[in-house]
Amino acid sequence: METLKISSRMSYVQSQILPLNLKPYPLIHNSRILGVYSNNKARTFSFNLTCKLNTVKGGKPIKENSGSVPGNDGAPPIVEMEEGSRGNDGKKVEKLKNSGVGFGLLKKFPRKVLGILSNLPLAIAEMFAVAALMALGTFIDQGEAPDYYFQKFPEDHPPLGFFTWRWVLTLGFDHMFSSPVFLGTLALLGASLMACTYTTQIPLVKVARRWSFLQSAEIIRKQEYADTLPRASVKDLGVILMGAGYEVFSKGPALYAFKGLAGRFAPIGVHLSLLLVMCGGTLSAVGSFRGAVTVPQGLSFVAGDVLAPFGFLSTPSDAFSTEIRVNRFTMDYYDSGEVAQYHTDLSLFDLNGKEVMRKTISVNDPLRYGGITIYQTDWSISALQVLKDGEGPFNLAMAPLQMNGGDKKLFGTFLPVGDDNSPNVKGISMLARDLQSIILYDKEGKFAGVRRPNSKLPIEIDGTKIVIEDAIGSSGLDLKTDPGVPIVYAGFGALMLTTCISYLSHTQLWALQDGTSVVVGGKTNRAKGEFPGTINRLLDQVPELVESSSPKET
Amino acid sequence: MIFSTLEHILTHISFSIVSIVITIHLITFLVDEIVKLYDSSEKGIIVTFFCITGLLVTRWISSGHFPLSDLYESLIFLSWSFSLIHIIPYLKKNVLILSKITGPSAIFTQGFATSGILTEIHQSGILVPALQSEWLIMHVSMMILGYAALLCGSLLSVALLVITFRKDRKLFYKSNGFVNESFFLGENVLENTSFFSAKNYYRSQLIQQLDYWSYRVISLGFTFLTIGILSGAVWANEAWGSYWNWDPKETWAFITWIVFAIYLHTRTNRNLRGANSAIVAAIGFLIIWICYFGVNLLGIGLHSYGSFPSTFN
Repeated sequence: METLKISSRMSYVQSQILPLNLKPYPLIHNSRILGVYSNNKARTFSFNLTCKLNTVKGGKPIKENSGSVPGNDGAPPIVEMEEGSRGNDGKKVEKLKNSGVGFGLLKKFPRKVLGILSNLPLAIAEMFAVAALMALGTFIDQGEAPDYYFQKFPEDHPPLGFFTWRWVLTLGFDHMFSSPVFLGTLALLGASLMACTYTTQIPLVKVARRWSFLQSAEIIRKQEYADTLPRASVKDLGVILMGAGYEVFSKGPALYAFKGLAGRFAPIGVHLSLLLVMCGGTLSAVGSFRGAVTVPQGLSFVAGDVLAPFGFLSTPSDAFSTEIRVNRFTMDYYDSGEVAQYHTDLSLFDLNGKEVMRKTISVNDPLRYGGITIYQTDWSISALQVLKDGEGPFNLAMAPLQMNGGDKKLFGTFLPVGDDNSPNVKGISMLARDLQSIILYDKEGKFAGVRRPNSKLPIEIDGTKIVIEDAIGSSGLDLKTDPGVPIVYAGFGALMLTTCISYLSHTQLWALQDGTSVVVGGKTNRAKGEFPGTINRLLDQVPELVESSSPKET
Repeated sequence: MIFSTLEHILTHISFSIVSIVITIHLITFLVDEIVKLYDSSEKGIIVTFFCITGLLVTRWISSGHFPLSDLYESLIFLSWSFSLIHIIPYLKKNVLILSKITGPSAIFTQGFATSGILTEIHQSGILVPALQSEWLIMHVSMMILGYAALLCGSLLSVALLVITFRKDRKLFYKSNGFVNESFFLGENVLENTSFFSAKNYYRSQLIQQLDYWSYRVISLGFTFLTIGILSGAVWANEAWGSYWNWDPKETWAFITWIVFAIYLHTRTNRNLRGANSAIVAAIGFLIIWICYFGVNLLGIGLHSYGSFPSTFN
């Protein structure tokens, strides 16, 4: 039963992520593929559990941990701790583990998993693996029939000496972006992302939010940047720092200032928004409908007939009963004759036949109604309206013609002339590349002329007078519903914002009045190069006190 | 007509200035560092920048759409971005290291774009339906700016690798020299070592500078790349019906993004900083070129606008 479930999952994933031309035939090697897949799935799932467990119960040890900080020696350990958590993940995890000894083995295990997952080299290896798999996915042609791979990766002399079709098909590399290997790696990366956010980044926030004064000139001098201002007052420094956009706190002779705290928190935001995008992507994969239809001008269809579910969570909405009519399909052309834009005038009717919406869509301008999006994606010519010797009009169905290798479309139709019952019917051939002009050929296949539809200009071929009244196009529409889009867009927005903020540098400054001079020290996490210059320029503004007045009076 | 003449003039001016600047660079590199000459080459790049800006604006007005619809225009934009990245630190009067990279990069891309190789695609073409969107400006300009910054940053990392590697080799070579020389002159060795240590100091300073600036420039480029990819995804959801299609270009842009994400992560770990992260950036350098050129040369997928109408014509 489980196999069944998983295989159905697989097919939706395949068809969702590479919707163009995937045929799910993976059951030849199913035992192996499914084995790998379910393994990965299980791991991710168990991880999810552990993560929740820790957020509920793991609060205590961290508090203990942070509680021990002030007890140690006031301010300095904070700095050390911060360094430790930034530079060395292992230490931090160990600290957490030690504090959690009392919880016993059962609670230690998820923590161990968490520790492994949040390991930076592992995360880097996962990212490399994802990148390599994607690159491989662009090198191997995707979504072909097995025969194609038998030929391309033959067993007797495979590419690279070992890469036979068995590899491709067993690992599912013929549909890389929905293959269990790829999705598993991606899920593992997501798990690492969560683990890293939880074990490394969030504790970092707790540390960074606690600001502290440094009471010893020695420690201040040990900072990445340190300077001593003779005959200066720490208060003047504070005013100048405030003017430069720093948050300044002072207590007696000590001063602490920081700037760009957001820059330190933003990477967490980046991770969280990536997770949001991943969630949205998963929802898109399991809960969307898709469909494509080519509708001749004037005809209509019902949305629900076209839309096919792609995942087990796809549930149709009320809007699926909407009837959509293609009122008109038109094409715009440049002066050079090339197509500039495609337009389809659509009307939407509800069950009672009332028009609920009307819009002319074009490429880049889809129609959205009740969760359904309708895109202009394709076109063809369905028929020609022709007057033959003043009779008609007749509708001649146009058929797409196979072009060898070209990008352009070509449509053709045939108007029989003379005796219809004779064995070899002869007639007039009409060809069209677009709705602009029709090329006509006579019985012998010789070029006879070009006419524009609507021009009403008759053409006489082999004694038959022909007027081309109109060329009727049909519009190729793609329909979809995608419940994941709002989540993905939210993730995109957050990701853009937090990535930009991540460029900011978190700067911290400490200063201490040491007699008549002020000791200043500081550090920053990103803009280390410009940092000394900027601070020097700021410190140059600090006024030098006249010798007679004591610094405390100012 | 006026536009095409103006375009011609601007192309020729920028190209001739670029070739003059190349000559000046070669002179200062091979013969002697003449301050005045060097300064004039900097000014030359500023003039080039304005010429390219003028070129882009002319194309914009004459074609009626943002001039980023084909490879030629995107190359021009790339060299424009390089010269922009070059000018900003020049005006701020710092970061000489960066200008060593951006200057020649601008020169090469501009030279390549205006050279005969791509002559056929010089005339500004028409915009296929899928490209007619406001997103074109945001998506493509952000991508190219991102590429430019990432290329600069990863070139700095490559320079770092070269210097680190050469240092090791030279030291080895010199220490061999010591053994031979020490037979003859004991004193000379002492002198030499002090000379080397001073040299080493400058080397390590330089390496540190390279490391830092490649990090800063890559983070900036990464931001642009992120915005570019995401705006592209939003656009794809408008035009193609899905925000992610696993199109080769998309996939490679994502690979680029991941590689530079790896670079940024290696920077957070002390053990992996320096040469290791520089190697990742150097890999990224190759991958950008695959993404930018390779995919288009193969003409596959939805992004190949030379042959795009296959899916829609």
